[in-house]
Amino acid sequence: MRSYIAFTKKEFHEIWSTYKFFILITVFLLLGMMNPITAKITPQLLDSFMPEGMVIAIAEPTALDSWMQFFSNVPQIGLIVLVIVFSGVMTSEFSRGTLINLLTKGLSRSTVILSKFTMSSAVWTLCYILCFAVTYFYTAYFWSSESINNIGFSVFCLWLFGILLLAIIMLGGVLFKNSYGGLLLTSGLVVVLMLVNIVPNLQNYNPISLASNNMALLTGDVPISDFTGAIVICGVGIIAFITSAIILFKKKQM
Amino acid sequence: MQDIIEYLPFLMPLLIIQLILLITALIHVLRHPNYRFGNRVIWIFVVVLIQIVGPIIYFVFGRGEE
Repeated sequence: MRSYIAFTKKEFHEIWSTYKFFILITVFLLLGMMNPITAKITPQLLDSFMPEGMVIAIAEPTALDSWMQFFSNVPQIGLIVLVIVFSGVMTSEFSRGTLINLLTKGLSRSTVILSKFTMSSAVWTLCYILCFAVTYFYTAYFWSSESINNIGFSVFCLWLFGILLLAIIMLGGVLFKNSYGGLLLTSGLVVVLMLVNIVPNLQNYNPISLASNNMALLTGDVPISDFTGAIVICGVGIIAFITSAIILFKKKQM
Repeated sequence: MQDIIEYLPFLMPLLIIQLILLITALIHVLRHPNYRFGNRVIWIFVVVLIQIVGPIIYFVFGRGEE
């Protein structure tokens, strides 16, 4: 336990000193601001691009539009930045050989994986909460009176999907020598999940619906109970990926 | 003018974040002579001229090892 705390501290120190934390925080802050403002100015933008005399009816933007931006921007930009930043979290240690010393001195290998996973999850959680808070604040500022269904649950779904991606990155980092391997594994699995999503029967059990189906939850088209399967599968997936990463890492030659 | 006042609570933080990014990246470029690729002049141009994305690209791809 003491080595776990010490190693996790070292991980936090490292992400701070490599400016990765700084990048993630700014990206998610900017995303959080972008969401409501994009929803707000889109009608005006369209208006100013229209040729003279042409009129199209655009509905007045609502708080729902702002959250629609949130649930399209965070998976598309936020998660991609997250995966790119964390893709080297394991492999940079291998390429620099910094782990060998620690492991021969008795640091257990499962501690390494768990510490890195804890650190990346904590950073993702913090960035995500920040992004959510900023969007929430500005949405409340622009459209104060409206309330949204299921917003908390919907936000939780997307958060869980981010954790799943981080677990896949850990496995990818153990499997491959360079950081592109982890990137490839993560994006490959996401593509597979998207393909699986074509089959209607599997949609309710597909973790990707946690990141893509949030709007249906907000508008009330889909009940919360429809997401239970996907959440269970996602949780099982996270545990399975981390355990297999630990098992494989124990067998890996340094 | 009315529009600017309406969006001021949004524009100010955006401007501040942009400035913080620019200044930290610029200081880092000037202090560390090693880059993964490119040279100092290129990175100064990237960081100063490309808003927001430039400094992020520098920290993710251009920053050399210590």
